[in-house]
Amino acid sequence: MARSSTPGPRLRRLRLKNGLDVILSSERTSPTVAVGMYYRAGFRLEEEGRTGFAHLFEHLMFQGTATVPKADFGRLITGAGGVLNGSTRHDYTNYFEILPASALEMACFIEADRMENLDLNETTLQNQIDVVKEEVRVNVLNRPYGGFSWLWLSQYAFSTYPNAHNFYGEFADLEAATVADARAFYTTWYGPGNATLVLVGDFDEDQAVVLVERHFGAVAARPAPPEPETAEPMPKRRAEHERQDPLAPNPRVAIGYRTAPFGTPDHLPLALASRILSDGRSSRLQRRLIREREILLHVDGGPHFPIGDAFEFKGPALFTIEATPRPGISTGAAVTAIDEELAQIATEGPTPDELLRAKRRELGSYHASTDSRLGRLSELGVLAAVHNRPELADQLPQLYQEVTAEQVQAAIANWLQPKHSTVLHWLPGSEAQS
Amino acid sequence: MSNPSRTSELSADVPRPGPVPPLRVGRPTRATLANGLDAMVVARPSVPRVEVRLTVPAGAAIGPNAATSELLRAGILLGTKALNQEEVSEAIQRLGGSLQIQQDHDRMHIAASALAEAEEELYRLVCTVITEPAFPADDLETERVKLIEGLRTARATPQFLAGERLQHLIYGSHPYGRPEPAEAAIKKTTRGQLADLHRATFLPSAAQITVVGDVEPRRTVTRLRRAFASWSGPRKSAKVPQVHPQSRPEITFIDRPGLVQTVILLGTSAPPVGHPDQIPLTLASAVLGGSFSSRLMANLREDKGYTYSPHTMSEAHLRDSLLGAALDVRTEVTAAAHVEVMYELGRLATVEVEPAELEESRNYLAGVRVIFLQTQAGLASSLAQVRGYGLDHRYLEGYSDRLAAVSPADLRRVAARYLSPANLTTVMVGDAAAAADDLARVFPVKVKRSGRGANH
Repeated sequence: MARSSTPGPRLRRLRLKNGLDVILSSERTSPTVAVGMYYRAGFRLEEEGRTGFAHLFEHLMFQGTATVPKADFGRLITGAGGVLNGSTRHDYTNYFEILPASALEMACFIEADRMENLDLNETTLQNQIDVVKEEVRVNVLNRPYGGFSWLWLSQYAFSTYPNAHNFYGEFADLEAATVADARAFYTTWYGPGNATLVLVGDFDEDQAVVLVERHFGAVAARPAPPEPETAEPMPKRRAEHERQDPLAPNPRVAIGYRTAPFGTPDHLPLALASRILSDGRSSRLQRRLIREREILLHVDGGPHFPIGDAFEFKGPALFTIEATPRPGISTGAAVTAIDEELAQIATEGPTPDELLRAKRRELGSYHASTDSRLGRLSELGVLAAVHNRPELADQLPQLYQEVTAEQVQAAIANWLQPKHSTVLHWLPGSEAQS
Repeated sequence: MSNPSRTSELSADVPRPGPVPPLRVGRPTRATLANGLDAMVVARPSVPRVEVRLTVPAGAAIGPNAATSELLRAGILLGTKALNQEEVSEAIQRLGGSLQIQQDHDRMHIAASALAEAEEELYRLVCTVITEPAFPADDLETERVKLIEGLRTARATPQFLAGERLQHLIYGSHPYGRPEPAEAAIKKTTRGQLADLHRATFLPSAAQITVVGDVEPRRTVTRLRRAFASWSGPRKSAKVPQVHPQSRPEITFIDRPGLVQTVILLGTSAPPVGHPDQIPLTLASAVLGGSFSSRLMANLREDKGYTYSPHTMSEAHLRDSLLGAALDVRTEVTAAAHVEVMYELGRLATVEVEPAELEESRNYLAGVRVIFLQTQAGLASSLAQVRGYGLDHRYLEGYSDRLAAVSPADLRRVAARYLSPANLTTVMVGDAAAAADDLARVFPVKVKRSGRGANH
């Protein structure tokens, strides 16, 4: 992989005295800006007995500050013609707004304000515990295949608490959370030195730097947080687990392999391999297992699938393949068939056309993502906050073009081996807690 | 008051932005091809890609049964006389793009994209796919099994059950009220029926194509003429029957024992895109449940903690719109939550909105549209949508002005007419044994015991 530490031509990067990392990408194609704040605080650093806390805390970041009361917080952004949201992931939590260009300063004010003056109190904590429990119910407990497979597979595939706990949170842990916990979490993980601010859109760079200095420069520095310890050994043999889902009409199965870490030689080839394996009807697994061998109805997968991609994590992560067998075919037979196809491509490699198509899709999706403020913001934010390499956003299309068939073959052979995998059979049935 | 901490003046220290910028589409190039295909092209060279939307009247406008219609949608991607399904997929991937087909109650929508350098090949591929489908028997069998699996999953999903029932209660036997197809119907639809429906649906004179991207519009029109020259068919005009919507005074409660939440879904028939009441109603809907700062969010989530994501929604049809509100609440607060929903609906219909709240909702709707239209894909989809109502880019560009013309009195009038509790039909899906008694003490409720529940 090319090693370049200087930002690409469209990027500007600076670091404030308090440690805040700032990325600017001025793009004047439409009169909007996207502002993203990435904190290097995700699921993996939650303490035992506080599962789900990182995501619960994300909710508290929308509850107002000493300056901006709860009821005004969202109103300021939506009332200016903007949208806002946030999401919690394994190794970061982000907050973003997309707004008319003239609202850039307001967005800077709001993000700086909630970095320093968050109003943490018993009322909003109890309210958001209730809201998060409803979120878990609607997304996991009250629907078929809830949380399949991302929420559950990692609980079986990993053996250490940081990687293997329930990231959405056990209800008892959510209910046990206190304002003191929230204050400590905020102080430790939400300081400027643990954050990356990304601005994308219609602004003059120099003026944007002035705004950033004005609003974020005054935020007090906090001690650097500890680096979370997440490493754990690769499994030596395949483990099989079952879960019953009372709402699911049909079985499904997920296979989780370890995926190649960022920056290693197999990283980009394995990302490209996921397109070759399961992107579209012409992909290897869909063609072979749905159409030709008539074993599956659906198959999809990739690094950090289905909630992320090859760049969204720093610690150990899964390359997941999810499949729905045809009626009458067992999940075990589905796994065997997937093993066979992976063994074949690990032996023979992809065809030149398979590789070419994967690269063309990467190029197309790079441009589509760049066309959207949120797409561009997300690429820069993750690469900067998680890997300290924002310039890669514009280099990836070229780096993908340079990947060879041999590299893809080796990446599949190295990482997608049955002995390093965990299988989760998701079965219709009533024993929800297996 | 639902949200006592709401102040009419926002926090004073915050730097305030200027107005939402105007929506600009640019002047499209229009052309009608010799076969009648109506084309609109907008140059938007923000990235080197091209987005295509092709729509044809389908569903209610053509009048097939739901199974044939759904199999046609799926069958289009199963390959052509010259290319099997993988070869179609390979071809689109080599162009660096994608090809998808969706269907709503009135139309079939083909959405395709490619790198700009592959523009003409993209048009040729889209034309081949829609005009020469082969419906291979083997692949069709697999597609039937996939559709049935998808429907079983949908029917195990409480929100889907609520939506299907609500449409049926409002529209009755009109195609808008039609349930998703039964498994038996999917199994017995023949290839002959598909071929007939394909011929009746994919008529160039009834179709519209919208192109947005890094293109030179006049050259694009020439390329479209070449690529779609072979597409022919009789000139026919499709007509969607008038709707005769109904409302139900009692809550229809679908019992699914064991569910931990109740889905609450309310809806009504509202005017279609382009009707004078539609913009004030869009604003009323935004005030009620359109954003993070809406009244349903402030009350039911941020004050009461009953629910995660209460929201309003609108599904545009040719003849009307299905306007509604939806939320999922834990079973034990079903009745209490519905009381709050009724309160918010009643308040919107009886008390004029404060000018500041109205202004914020206007800005929100205009801003969201600006954000959506900034991508090639968003602009292409928006143009294709309004073209379906006989409107064009000027409708999109005039959106902010139409929002600005709505007064608090207008908003209250349309809210009272369409969104009042008396006008809405309500469906709930949940555990009746745990929720329906409480509910029945406050509201009229009719419990529907479900035939087939969860797997226990």
